[in-house]
Formats: sequence, structure tokens, C-alpha cells
Amino acid sequence: MAAVTVEKLTFSYPQRETPALRQVSLSVEEGEFLVLCGKSGCGKTTLLRHLKPALTPHGERTGEIALFGRPLSSLSAREQAARIGFVLQNPDNQLVTDKVWHELAFGLESLGMHPDVIRLRVAEMASFFGIGPWFHKNVSDLSGGQKQLLNLASIMAMQPELLLLDEPTSQLDPIAAAEFLQTVRKINRELGVAVLLTEHRLEEAVPMADRVVVMEEGAILVDGPPREAGERLRERGHGLFSSMPAPLQIGAALHAPSPCPLTVREGRRFLSGLFAGRPPEIVQLQEPAAQKKGGKAAVRLKDVWFRYEKNGPDVVKDLSLTVEEGSLFAVMGQNGAGKTTFLTLLTGQNRPVRGKVWVLDQEVGRYKGGALFRRCLAMLPQNPQALFVKKTIREDLMEMLREVPQRQAEERLLQTARLTRIEGLLDVHPYDVSGGEQQRAALAKVLLLEPKVLLLDEPTKGLDNQYKEILGGILKDLCRQGATVLLVSHDIEFCARYADQCALFFDGTIVSRGEPRVFFSGNRFYTTAANRMARHLFRQAVTNEEVIALCRKNGVSPCEPC
Amino acid sequence: MANYGFSSYHPAVNFLFFAAVLLFSMFFLHPVLLGISFFSALAYAVRLNGWRTLRFCLTALLPMAVLVAFLNPAFNHDGVTVLVYVNDNPITLESVCYGLAAAVLFSSVILWFSCYNAVMTSDKFLHLFGRVLPSLSLLFSMCLRFVPRFKGQTKVIAQAQRGIGLDPGEGGPLRRAKKGMHILSILTTWALENAVDTADSMKARGYGLKGRTSFSLYRFGRRDRAALLFLLALVVLVGWGALLGEATLQYFPRLSGKEITGRSLVLYGGYALLCLTPLILDAKEAVAWRRSQWKS
Repeated sequence: MAAVTVEKLTFSYPQRETPALRQVSLSVEEGEFLVLCGKSGCGKTTLLRHLKPALTPHGERTGEIALFGRPLSSLSAREQAARIGFVLQNPDNQLVTDKVWHELAFGLESLGMHPDVIRLRVAEMASFFGIGPWFHKNVSDLSGGQKQLLNLASIMAMQPELLLLDEPTSQLDPIAAAEFLQTVRKINRELGVAVLLTEHRLEEAVPMADRVVVMEEGAILVDGPPREAGERLRERGHGLFSSMPAPLQIGAALHAPSPCPLTVREGRRFLSGLFAGRPPEIVQLQEPAAQKKGGKAAVRLKDVWFRYEKNGPDVVKDLSLTVEEGSLFAVMGQNGAGKTTFLTLLTGQNRPVRGKVWVLDQEVGRYKGGALFRRCLAMLPQNPQALFVKKTIREDLMEMLREVPQRQAEERLLQTARLTRIEGLLDVHPYDVSGGEQQRAALAKVLLLEPKVLLLDEPTKGLDNQYKEILGGILKDLCRQGATVLLVSHDIEFCARYADQCALFFDGTIVSRGEPRVFFSGNRFYTTAANRMARHLFRQAVTNEEVIALCRKNGVSPCEPC
Repeated sequence: MANYGFSSYHPAVNFLFFAAVLLFSMFFLHPVLLGISFFSALAYAVRLNGWRTLRFCLTALLPMAVLVAFLNPAFNHDGVTVLVYVNDNPITLESVCYGLAAAVLFSSVILWFSCYNAVMTSDKFLHLFGRVLPSLSLLFSMCLRFVPRFKGQTKVIAQAQRGIGLDPGEGGPLRRAKKGMHILSILTTWALENAVDTADSMKARGYGLKGRTSFSLYRFGRRDRAALLFLLALVVLVGWGALLGEATLQYFPRLSGKEITGRSLVLYGGYALLCLTPLILDAKEAVAWRRSQWKS
């Protein structure tokens, strides 16, 4: 029996002309793992919320929804609370209580269960999710990944038969995200719970899925097994194809015989098969450009040491680094490696214990009274929302132009808005726009300082691929205009594509740096999927396009039989 | 020292102890009982908070106690045994003694409260009173979640503003106040925005259904029952002694109390046992631990 069936669901929000969902028909089988994807605003969250009556938005709707054959409207509030689990995007906002154990019990308390039953369920969940070690902690002491796992566990404690997840990993770093998705998969496999997941981190979610459903403008565009869905997206030239796993993209571009490769393992096998018996003649696209030496240094650190407490551990250790003017420099590394601390040394919020830091020929400590931030340096924080303090984006941007004459200010505002592509959003409250738009509005605010050195902390966090491409484009434009961009990120694929220089930050210092192709092809684990897939054949092929181009050059024609 | 010995007992046991000890300490002015209460409180506070307690005693408690001890004879001229005249005002022995007693009483109550704070954590308190008002206990827990988050976000915003050269702590007082207001206003927006999500998360987990129960990790075991009965017996004993006047010492007009009899000794003993219960239970735990480590 189908866990959920949606029959011709059409829905419009009040006072909106265009419906948010149009004739959506969908079914999720018992124990199925379904990934729902689409661009921001395509209606996937609206659809998901329709499957949970407590969260269904108000508006006009026609069509039928049934849970295990029963109309959803006939379910009592108690039944729908217990049988349908819903995990939201933001890990912090979902936590209601202050203690981990209390959070686990929250839903069961609502259902009015006997404390002894709750005790057992809580114990079960803590064991299944490995929560034991932090069971007694305050929720505010947990990492983002742990918080989201706790949200999942506290919902699973109610033993739902259907689990709905709305972009649950968008606020997590890649490692925590992978762990979270693996747990969802484990729930699906071992407990047989049907899962409906919306995601933009498709590289990991798609290979797990039984089926992928793609939505566009409120309607279902593609519905099928992952490989098939990927191929169909490619045929349509759909933008979302670029979010699919790299092996699928490369395979589809080279017309791999179906089934198309989905994982790195399959992709490797596929490429090896292409060159079976005749190893590729051209193994490298071109010699990497000789490192430009002698460019002026925009940022320079010399033997810098830093720690927060007198007897505390060193957070930055013996760090020396030069970032050349006009380059896009990416610093990558684990959580807690000291990357964010490193940025605060550049903004002068923290001073090194030993060593010196220069920004544009002058030591950071020598800039007085905010001179550092006048046409010199600016930082976009990890949470761009924190930059806004006014009622509209326009007012917020104007705050940066207080010292500029009115007319000139407006001109500059428009110019920056155009560069960051937020012209249409100027009169909206900064909290009312999507994550990607918020990020760009924050970038606009920062750019109005006309910084020559721009620092960004995790700029791609929570962005879908479409927004990442826009952001990458903007950053490249800035570099071309002579600005220096220094970003700290987890996002390997993004850095590989856009950075001029990449560096790996580990244990308080930079352990390796280089031009992305050289940098990533030197790594075995810490590298792009495309590189992991093709490294046994090609040298220094890091992005999907490079691997595809190399295959073509070696005579893999695009019209080989499918 | 959390969750060791006495503090690992059921919250009801903890609470009964502190309620009794605080009540008795506030009313008993008899020097022997004052001494018992003060030294027990001091010993337990040192046990719980380490040597920080002594520093606190010397820097905060002692000056205050001295103040109390001096203020009483300076303003209270009752009593018949005049020691000395200051500006034609008699300083009496009774008044000096009363001041000293009040100072000790005051110090021991404060020390007991510092122990209370270390032992009766918020969730223990909630567990005890959450049964009476389940929604209040949830509200309290949500506040405890909200306050650190709010503080954290304030810090994040201030830091972000500093990163673009708008340091909220810079400039004249007017400018600082204005920036502060901006931050406060956006914080309110932020909190309300997030509250929508939290409300969704609560609704999704069936909040608002009839018959909500309240779960807690504490279990009332056999040893809790034993401890509770033991404490109750001591409370009755001490209360009985106090009713018979064994705990009373008259300060004015002249120091006078009952003769010390066997009955008073029983009261003193009972009170000492009551005040030392946590230390005794902790010691018992330490012994039990040692024993468990002995190889047979």
C-alpha cells in the first residue's frame, strides 16, 4: 500500500494570482526513499507541508491527499502528530527545551504517554542515534550537526510511519550533513519508514534515493529513479542538472550506456571502461600557468600565533601567508581548525600573541578609528542576517553611505544592487527574502565600503547551486576589478571552480596551498568528486568540465552509442 | 560535585533538607544551634564549591557580618549590662551579643543558599513543581533555552557589525545608544521570526493535545525513601525541641536561657545530625566507593 498518495493537488496562497502547486500527483510507497528537488521557490516546501496537516498553509486548495489509504483530513490531531514526522531546515529553531533529554521526550509528553513508556522510548532513541554521550547536556552546547540529529531523534521517538524532511542539511557543514543523511538512510533501511526529503545537496542525497522527483513552478517535471531522472533533466537542459552528482553529470555528458554511473565507484569503472585497452594519450589539459610571482601582497601574515586564553591551546600556530592582490584565495578545512579565528586576526578583532599581520602595506594594529574599514577591508560573516539592522534592505544599504552626498549615494546604491543582483529586493525587509538573496544583500552592504580586501566566512552555506553560480560570478567580477577576495569554506566543489589559490587549514596553520588544479590533484580524499573519479586516468582534472573535455580530446565522441 | 552523594538523591530529598535547614537557621538564635548551623553550612559549601567559598567568606561575607555585628549595638541600646558610653549612648553587652548572633545567622543562611544553588539545579526544581503546573515547567524550560540564544545572537550581530567597521561600542554615548537600539530592534524581529519555526516544531510534535504528561529523569528509589524518612524524623525531633523552648535564648533585657539538660543535648545532637546529613551521605558514598574498589 502507498504510504502517501497525492491526487491532483492544486493550491494557491491567499491573494496570489499564480498557484503555488499545480495538479500535483505523487505517491510514496511504503518504505520508499524519495528525494524532492527543484529551484528555490518551486513549491517543494509547500507540497511537503501539505502532507503534515498541522503545518499546512492557509489558502485555496483542490485535490486529495491520503495516508495509507485514508484521507488525510480524517486523521485525528493525535494520529497525525504521531504518524507523520516533520524535520525543518533550521536546527536551532526547532529545539524547544533546554536539555537534550527533555527535547527527546517533548513529543511523547504531548501525546500524554506514561513516564515509564517515555523513559523506554527515550532510551531507545538515545541508543539508536548515539546520543548517549551528550544525553545530559544543554542543547546550547551542541554542534549544529548534533542539534539536527537531536531534532530527528525527538521526532523518531514518536515512531512515525512517514518522515518528511525540509532541507535538513542546508545549515550543516559537509561532514555533519553526510552523517545526518546517512542516519536518515539508516532509519529508512532498518525501520522501513517512508522518507520524503527535499534537498539542495543532491550529490549525497540522490544516490541514496529510490526515486527523485523534480518540481518546477509548482508542478512535477520529472519523476523517476535517480539515473533516469538525471538523464531526463539533461535532455531538457534543466539548470538543476548541474546539482546532480558529478559521476552522473560526467556520465550523461559522455552518453554513458544506461544505467548511468551514480557514485564515484561506478564513475571510475565507467571511465576505466572507456579507456580499456587504450590508455588516454592526453592526460593533462595544459601545463598549469607558472605561478605569478611578484604580485603585490594584499594580505600578509608572518609567524602568527594566537590563543584565546593565557594558558589555553594555540588556535593559530606559526602561520605565514601571503595573498596577492586581485586573487580569489580560498582557505578550506575542518570545523574548529581555526579558520574563523584566522579571519578575526585580519579584521583586528583579535590580535596575534606573536607575529605580525599586514593588510595593504600597513599593520592591522596601526589602522586607527575604523580606518581599516574605509575602502580597505570588510568581512561578510557566516550568518549574513547579522549584518542587517534596519527595516528594508535599502535603509540598511544607505547606512553605509551616510557620508556620501544624497544623489551620489543613490547612484552607488543602484550600481551595487545591480552588481549583486538585488535590484528587485531593495524595499523588502531583509528577513523576508530567501537565504541566497539575503546573502547577496549582505554582500551588497559590505561592498558599499568599497573594500580592496573582502573576507567571506562560509559564503556558500545554505545556498543551492544556482545561487552559488551567481555568487561565484560576482566574486570573479570583483577580482577582475582589482579587489582581493579571501574566503573560508568547506565547499570543495565551489573552491575548485572559482578560486585562484586554495589552501588547506589544519590544526592552526596552513599545511598546503596551490592553484586549485595542482592543489586538489595532490589530495586523495580532500578533493572533488570529478577528480576522485578520474585521477587514475588524468592528471590535474578537477572539475566536471575538465574531465569531460579530456575524454573528448582522447576521442570519446559525444555520439557514441548510448 | 554535582550528582555525588547527597546531590544525587531525589530532588524531593534535597528540597526537604534545604527547606528545613533554612527555616531552622533563620529562627534559631541559640548560640549552640547557630554554631552547628554555621559550621555545617561552611563545611558543605567548601565541599561543593571548593576554596572559592573561603574567598567568598573573607571578601564578601565577613565584611557584611562585621557590619551587622556593629550596627546592632550602635542602634539598639536595650539590655542592662552597660559596657561603655559612646556619645551618651549606652553600648550594652546584650546588644553586642545579639549583633554577633545575627551576623552568624545571616552568614549561615547565605552559605546555605549557596549550597542550595549548587545542589538544587533548575531542572530539579522544575521536576518538583512541574507536576503542579506542567505548562509553567515547560515555559521555564523554554526560557532557559531562549535566554542563552538571545545573548548569543546579540554577540553574533555585534561581531558582524564590527566586521564592517560599525562597532556598536564606538562613538559618543548618543551614537552608541542609537546603535544599541537598532540591534535591540532587529533582535526582536529575529526572535519573532524564529518563534514561528519553534511554534511549527511544537505543533508538529502534537503540542496542544489534551492530557500532556511531564517526564523527568529522576526516580524515587528505596534509598531516597530512607533518606526522606530520616530527614523527616530529625525535623520532627528538632521541631519538638524548639517547641519545648530548648532552642530559645533570651537576649533582652538580660541574657537568659534554660539550663542545659539531657533534653537539650538531644536537640543539639538532632540538629547537628540534620545539618550534617549531606556531608554524612557524601562520606558514605566515598566509603562505598572505596569498598567497591577493594579486591576480594
